[in-house]
Amino acid sequence: MSRAADRSGISETQLFTNVFHYHCIVCHGKLKREAGLDLRTRASMLEGGKSGPALVPGSPEKSLVYTRIAADEMPPRENIFGNNKYVRRVRANDIEKLRGWIEAGAPEDSEEVQSVEDGGDTLVSEEDRKFWSLRPPERHSVPDVSRPDLVRTPIDAFLLEKLEEKGLTFAPDADRLTLMRRVYFAATGLPPGPEAIEAYLADRRPEAYDQLVAKLLDSFHYGERWAAFWLDAVGYADTHGKTNRDEFRPWAWRYRDYVIRSLNADKPYDRFLVEQIAGDELFDFRSTNTLTPEQKDCLIATGFLRTAADDTDETGFNFAEYRMAVVNDQVQIFSSALLGLTMDCARCHDHKFDPLPQRDYYRFAAIFRSAFDPYDWRVPSVVIYPPPAASVPVPYQRLITHPGDASPAMDRHNQRVSEQLEPLKKSFEESRSRLVQKLRSENLVSQEELDNHGTTTKNLLQISQRVVLSLDDGRVALRDELQSMRLALESQEDELAPLEKRFLSELKIYGVYDLGGDPTPVYVLNRGDWRSPTKRVAPGVPVAIREGIESFAAAKPDWDTSGQRLGLARWMTQPNHPLTARVLVNRIWQHHFGRGIVGTPGNFGETGLRPSHPKLLDWLATEFVRRGWSQKELHRMILTSTVYRQRSLVDEPRYQGDPDNTCLSRFPFRRLEAEAIRDSVLKVAGRLDLTPFGPADEVSVAGNDEVKVKETGEGGRRSVYVVRRRKTPVTMLELFDAPRVMLNCLRRPHSTVAPQALQLWNSSMMRSNARRFAGRVRAAVGGDVRAQIDRIYLESFCRQPTRAELDTGTTAIGELRQYWMEHFQKQGLSENADLAALSAYCHTILNSPEFLYVD
Amino acid sequence: MSSTEPLQPNRETRRDFFSRVSDGLVGTAMAGLLSRDVFASPAVRETHDVIPRRPPIDVPTKAVIQLFMTGGPSQVDLFDPKPALKKYANHLPRELLDSVESVGDAHGLLPSPFEFRRHGASGMEISELMPHLAESADDIAVIRSMFTTSFSHESAVFLMHSGRTFTDGPSLGSWVVYGLGSDNENLPAYVALDDPGKQILLGVQNWQSGWLPPVYQGTRLRTIGQPIINLHPENRFPGPVSRLSRDLLKRIATAHRDERPHQPDLDARIASYELSARMQLAATDALDIEKESERTRELYGINDKVTASYARRCLMARRLIERGVRIVQIYMNTDGSDNPWDHHGDLEGSLPKSCAATDRPVGALLKDLKQRGLLDSTLIVWGGEFGRLPLAQGGNRPGRDHGANGFSVWLAGGGVKGGTVHGTTDEFGYEAVENRVSVPMYHATILRLLGLDHERLVYDHHGLDERLTGVEPVDYVADVIA
Repeated sequence: MSRAADRSGISETQLFTNVFHYHCIVCHGKLKREAGLDLRTRASMLEGGKSGPALVPGSPEKSLVYTRIAADEMPPRENIFGNNKYVRRVRANDIEKLRGWIEAGAPEDSEEVQSVEDGGDTLVSEEDRKFWSLRPPERHSVPDVSRPDLVRTPIDAFLLEKLEEKGLTFAPDADRLTLMRRVYFAATGLPPGPEAIEAYLADRRPEAYDQLVAKLLDSFHYGERWAAFWLDAVGYADTHGKTNRDEFRPWAWRYRDYVIRSLNADKPYDRFLVEQIAGDELFDFRSTNTLTPEQKDCLIATGFLRTAADDTDETGFNFAEYRMAVVNDQVQIFSSALLGLTMDCARCHDHKFDPLPQRDYYRFAAIFRSAFDPYDWRVPSVVIYPPPAASVPVPYQRLITHPGDASPAMDRHNQRVSEQLEPLKKSFEESRSRLVQKLRSENLVSQEELDNHGTTTKNLLQISQRVVLSLDDGRVALRDELQSMRLALESQEDELAPLEKRFLSELKIYGVYDLGGDPTPVYVLNRGDWRSPTKRVAPGVPVAIREGIESFAAAKPDWDTSGQRLGLARWMTQPNHPLTARVLVNRIWQHHFGRGIVGTPGNFGETGLRPSHPKLLDWLATEFVRRGWSQKELHRMILTSTVYRQRSLVDEPRYQGDPDNTCLSRFPFRRLEAEAIRDSVLKVAGRLDLTPFGPADEVSVAGNDEVKVKETGEGGRRSVYVVRRRKTPVTMLELFDAPRVMLNCLRRPHSTVAPQALQLWNSSMMRSNARRFAGRVRAAVGGDVRAQIDRIYLESFCRQPTRAELDTGTTAIGELRQYWMEHFQKQGLSENADLAALSAYCHTILNSPEFLYVD
Repeated sequence: MSSTEPLQPNRETRRDFFSRVSDGLVGTAMAGLLSRDVFASPAVRETHDVIPRRPPIDVPTKAVIQLFMTGGPSQVDLFDPKPALKKYANHLPRELLDSVESVGDAHGLLPSPFEFRRHGASGMEISELMPHLAESADDIAVIRSMFTTSFSHESAVFLMHSGRTFTDGPSLGSWVVYGLGSDNENLPAYVALDDPGKQILLGVQNWQSGWLPPVYQGTRLRTIGQPIINLHPENRFPGPVSRLSRDLLKRIATAHRDERPHQPDLDARIASYELSARMQLAATDALDIEKESERTRELYGINDKVTASYARRCLMARRLIERGVRIVQIYMNTDGSDNPWDHHGDLEGSLPKSCAATDRPVGALLKDLKQRGLLDSTLIVWGGEFGRLPLAQGGNRPGRDHGANGFSVWLAGGGVKGGTVHGTTDEFGYEAVENRVSVPMYHATILRLLGLDHERLVYDHHGLDERLTGVEPVDYVADVIA
């Protein structure tokens, strides 16, 4: 403990973080300087404000910082738990300590900022830096294998090398249609339609498959499919989250659209990262009058840094400790998703297994401080563009990133909101005037008071509450009537207000932006406790990561921004960075094969798994960078390889020699992801609405508690456009392992549980879509049952039925028709038994494993 | 200090288990069906299932019923009598005010308007508001010295459920099922019974599995209508259509599986449909309290409007426990508020209402379990997320504001030393002073009563061995264990 602490019982550092930063600088700091006073430092206190110096060392009674706080005048009472300030009273023992500190002459801590960049950190040894994931990827030569004919891309050679060691080799290629279905889902998340199947079968050229891969990677659906995984990784949600209200983030979807757009444009991954980490620092947006589409994207991209659950918009959740929790979550998302580091372990103590000293955590967090200062906080609803100063709302058409993109979805969204709003507004106005009339007709309130004080609904409710309370027991009937009118108006108001917020009249950008540097200092927190600051640290990156790369430095441009995050982005996107490319290629590999080369995608450290194919991982990482950080090229390499084209059948030698398929001796047989299941059902039912982008499709909670996507006339949009609420995830998606957004999700679990069967077998969504599927099939091929079955198999399984399957199906449909006819006759209904039978058959097909799994 | 070796009792590998399924040695693949295997690398490949596991410590307790009293019941009006409040009525001690955060409408000390009486051989003091519970005084152990670290409902509720003030931690129930598995093949191991009328505070997050695999998540069984989402279709197929469709599915699915050897997931998929059909019967039967005798129904208060709603859930809980469900959480609500015990105003009028709605059903649950010989194997825990201040809040018809520094909970049944009063608060009932019990200690005690060592019940999460009770070493409360 410092000398200052010895004399007064508290160090200057603690006093500043626990008292002044915590309680005062929301009004007397960098952004607001009420009474001209800045309480951030000892020097600025001595300088004082309009009432003179705030601090007189040695004289507490002459020091305004002491007298105003001790007299309970500061923080002002109305700001305690309110006024959007959210401060607390200063604790009595802190006031005592403040007094002691001033009496002792307000001693300064010798505040040396810990520097670890140059001399290195003694806590991290050279040995530590030799850990495999901390060294730059090595470019190994492609191994020689005994079956070069099986090598379509270098990937194959790396895998074959290991297979051959075990006396195994690749399984034969899957048949054309199996492979077609597989690659359709992999690239687009959707099954191929009958026309596409026909066209592919007709294309007998040797390069037909490669052409198909190219076509699918160019498809718009590619971006929609792969955005979902990126959104998982960064913890994207459309709502704030921790509290019950689960408020909407009305513009979060612009970030989702940005991701889709960027993936479809195959934006180089290094650029993609720079925009998300520091897009606001790439140009002086506050001095730019008209933003180009690229500039808008740079700002929208920073939404990446505001994905963490964050309720600081809400009363009672906007104290510094809650804000710190938001920053901690964001750092954890960042480090796990982009760096494969379990950085959060180092928040309370040195990392137990990896060379991450505790101070590295705080140095790393300090990089974000200039945008994310828990003591000088931007709530998540703060708009970064257009600047709040712009008094005239900018029509959203002018802020659309790329003309046409989100407009149709926006218009439709607004139209739907209006449709819900209109009747509500009408009945609200009626209730309001009824209440006013009642108050007037019974002469309970003067017209004057209503005119002067009852103009807002809130005031009207207050007035009527007062009236209700004033009525004595002699007027029970009137009291009850007024009370119920008042409650009705109140509940209508409660319904109306959030809906009105859902109407998007202008287009805004949320995200983060730099506050120009000079944030509150960052300290190592003892045991992660914000009340126990110890050593002050400067921004930096983990010292263990430095081999073969340039060290981190702020990239300060010549306008008002700190350049800290830009420096971080530049540091991370060096071609040789040991983690950036490895972590991404590993995750892409994982999505294709069900398991990453490193099985723990968010932990490349000591307690994570070692790569199953280290040379392959490094080759992929370096090749990825060589090819301009192109994700599409990476996909193409994987999808056209022999390992990818293998059949999935597990024969005995493969089962014995490679039981868990770690060597990839066959293609891993897998269930479809939640989104692919829902989207496929909609597609075969002819109910998949392909409108892209824009505000998310909403959900409703049905009477049976099932959270469903709200149906529209056009059906439903792809699941990536369905609102991601933290509290009420869509039942069908959640049951099939779509993540419930808490922090982030780098690998989805895989479950086979009975509620899935209940969902697919009993839900009205499945039953109605089975009927529509049947209707489409009849419309396409007519009443011939065998032709119908043919078509159903093609759309559902991407293949022809066997003769036996045709027979089974024909018999079943015949019997089903009989049962339905009997049923309809008994009920006296004139329903179509043919359609009913075919619907029941389609329903069974949609429940069958072949529909849900990919070979 | 006990061994910190992680607890992985009797774990079967995925393949062992499913090979038995395929051989038909396990009649149905139920346990696997409620399981999720982490489809990844060898080190994390272990199956996350609900196969029953013997706890490392031999105890009689098999199940838990948690009666969660959202809102913060007032300790000084229910379990912790403070005569000093009468003496100092309306005084406002400065040291108390200092540590009270929201002081806006705090008034002086408020004596309890309710009488306490001594009950049972133990002479335990219980408020007049809980006459039925008081009859079982010798079966319950009250902890008067609980304290928590948050005074806002949401974070305090999270803390009581998961040991963490934020949303991502697994709840107590998830840990219990992770440790002990399930004893019923046709019902979820972890059931939540909430108020059918109202959304409760934090909703499904009360029984979330957080970063534990979702198989350990609680299942809300709805106490009115269909107990599980989509247990039945909205419009049922005619019987023959339904049977034929199921048969057809089975034929198609079986043929599909037979062409694909060594894909245990496909066995599980087929069995999941069989299980879902059995669940329709099992869940409906478990919640069918019409099957109970009139005497039992009367005992719980099913026929009384005031107690009916909570009584139904208590009775259902007993039926679930009888069928091998591991943990049942019961939540309550009273009209108008999502915090039934949150008596900021009109303590005198509203606290009796919350007590009246619950006291008889809770008393009946204890007696009913006891007479059926189930109390020894069933742990009952009662409590909210915090207590209340001894101060008056608001002038006219005062209530009490949240108090986090001292409050009461009780435990009963399975392994609990009945008639115990553990710990004390200061003379006003503001702060726990003797034998203080933190939330992690409370959790450690519950786990210990179930035969689980809280230090060894660990889960690897992002490279950390996480446990319910956090990183700081804590002890369980031995005093309340028989």
